[in-house]
Amino acid sequence: MWYDAPGNNTDVVIGTKVVITRNIKGFPFVTKMTDSDKENVLGMVRQAGSQIGLDFVRTDELDDVARADIFNKGLVATSVVNGEDKYGILISKKEGVGVIVNSIDHISIVSLVPGDDVLLAYKRAEELAVHFEKNMDIAFSDKYGFLSPRISTVGTGVRVSVCVAIPGIEKTTGALPILTKRIEKYDWAMNAIANVDGSMRETSHYTINSVTTLGITEQELIDGANRLVADIIKLERSCRKNICAKKKVIVEDQFYRAYATLKYLRRADFSDAMTMIAWLRLGQDYIKHDDIDITWEKINKLTNMVRKNYDDYSRDRKVINNRPTQRAELIRSIMKGDIA
Amino acid sequence: MRCQRCGGLITNSFTRINGTLLCENCARELKVDDMFKRQATFFEQAFPMLGELTNGIMGTPSDLDFGNSKIKCPRCGTSLRELDSKGMLGCIECYNTYNETILKNILKKQGSSDYIGRKPGEIANIEVSEIPEEASPAPSVKVEVTPVNDSKPESNSSISVLDKIKDADWSTIPDNEIEAGMKAAAQAEDYQLAAKLRDELKSRKEGN
Ligand SMILES: [Zn+2]
Ligand SMILES: [Zn+2]
Repeated sequence: MWYDAPGNNTDVVIGTKVVITRNIKGFPFVTKMTDSDKENVLGMVRQAGSQIGLDFVRTDELDDVARADIFNKGLVATSVVNGEDKYGILISKKEGVGVIVNSIDHISIVSLVPGDDVLLAYKRAEELAVHFEKNMDIAFSDKYGFLSPRISTVGTGVRVSVCVAIPGIEKTTGALPILTKRIEKYDWAMNAIANVDGSMRETSHYTINSVTTLGITEQELIDGANRLVADIIKLERSCRKNICAKKKVIVEDQFYRAYATLKYLRRADFSDAMTMIAWLRLGQDYIKHDDIDITWEKINKLTNMVRKNYDDYSRDRKVINNRPTQRAELIRSIMKGDIA
Repeated sequence: MRCQRCGGLITNSFTRINGTLLCENCARELKVDDMFKRQATFFEQAFPMLGELTNGIMGTPSDLDFGNSKIKCPRCGTSLRELDSKGMLGCIECYNTYNETILKNILKKQGSSDYIGRKPGEIANIEVSEIPEEASPAPSVKVEVTPVNDSKPESNSSISVLDKIKDADWSTIPDNEIEAGMKAAAQAEDYQLAAKLRDELKSRKEGN
């Protein structure tokens, strides 16, 4: 999986995602397409993708196992993977790179990298975008740039999203407003990763998303992203350090409790597990813990594997009642180091 | 200070989205009033918020009378009303059709109205620039650590709520219990039940 590779600054940044959207001239946008338009677009994109070794699947031909497999890569939404519509997915041999066909835009290129690396995520997506632009008639106007059914993405069609874990900022009074002001200054948006019922128990995990696509160059977008992410990392580290110094006993206690619980628990619901992982993150670099075996690799592995997977989302399938038990089992084996 | 969407005077709090200043009301309508309550979807969905945001920005009834407008895209037939409700253009020709009416306005709000990105087929030669030491202000902040409950409070209570709800005739159960049941079901990861209860609540609220 894309998240198995080492990344930069993974104490704070879980992953970076870049999405580039493109549409093909000569076809209406997706909402106005006929079935045969959709088939034609699928065929054209498939053809262009095969020139650079991308594998093609149609979502209407996938079985359940394949759906889960594709969904769990993190590239596509359940609405696409479960959709009865004529969606296509191109999968690159590079981990974390894929193309979704006929979902809102004709072509949505998705690139995910572990940790903090906006430029790498962008380059991988751009490489595919340039290939499609050279080999297909892509809708473009000098005035508006790359055309899209959504006004919000017309222009570069490039959006950056960075997933960050910020328990230090969350637990420091006054730090979250500092962060939101900064994000506002860059004209980005921030979302919290919430629970399924929409309630927000602290999970300490947020995504920050770029918004502007017009009147901005790719260089400016990436420069802005890098600066903003660097600011967040700095702020989060200083909050963690601060908390661990000023509330040493409390953090030590929670850190060790989280460690012990994760090591032996038998049932783990998603938000509890995320809360405990956040305590590990908070203390890992700033409290002394020579007597236990916990590394950033383990903490990141936990974060990425505990997150919801296909079974949590699909609505029409039987509910898997032993999901918390399965999750606990997975957590225990990561803690033991059985899963490297 | 005035809201850049409705033009109203901003008295209370405001939100700045994509360079656009919004009053509290408009922010709520655009569902950007409290981004912390909104669900992020990093791993599984491509930016749903943007779609909703456009939806909202496009629905500016104070600027345009959608009901009486006869404008239609000659190629795909997308009407102004449709554009308003779906927030989506139908084809490339829509950009010409709506150019002088609403796009200009909306695109101005998108930041600037001129495209300055790369041309098709070209590579953006991005240079890695040093990040200036402008530095986030060292947070002079109060450290507050929220203690975590040792016991899991939901373990017994939520199971009994669920048992009650599962077998009951929902019309006999009050809203607050349905809501509690929905949360309990989500906690217990019975998402099917949680979704049904959410729909039940929703239809009750709409019914009133
Ligand atoms: Zn307003
Ligand atoms: Zn049209």
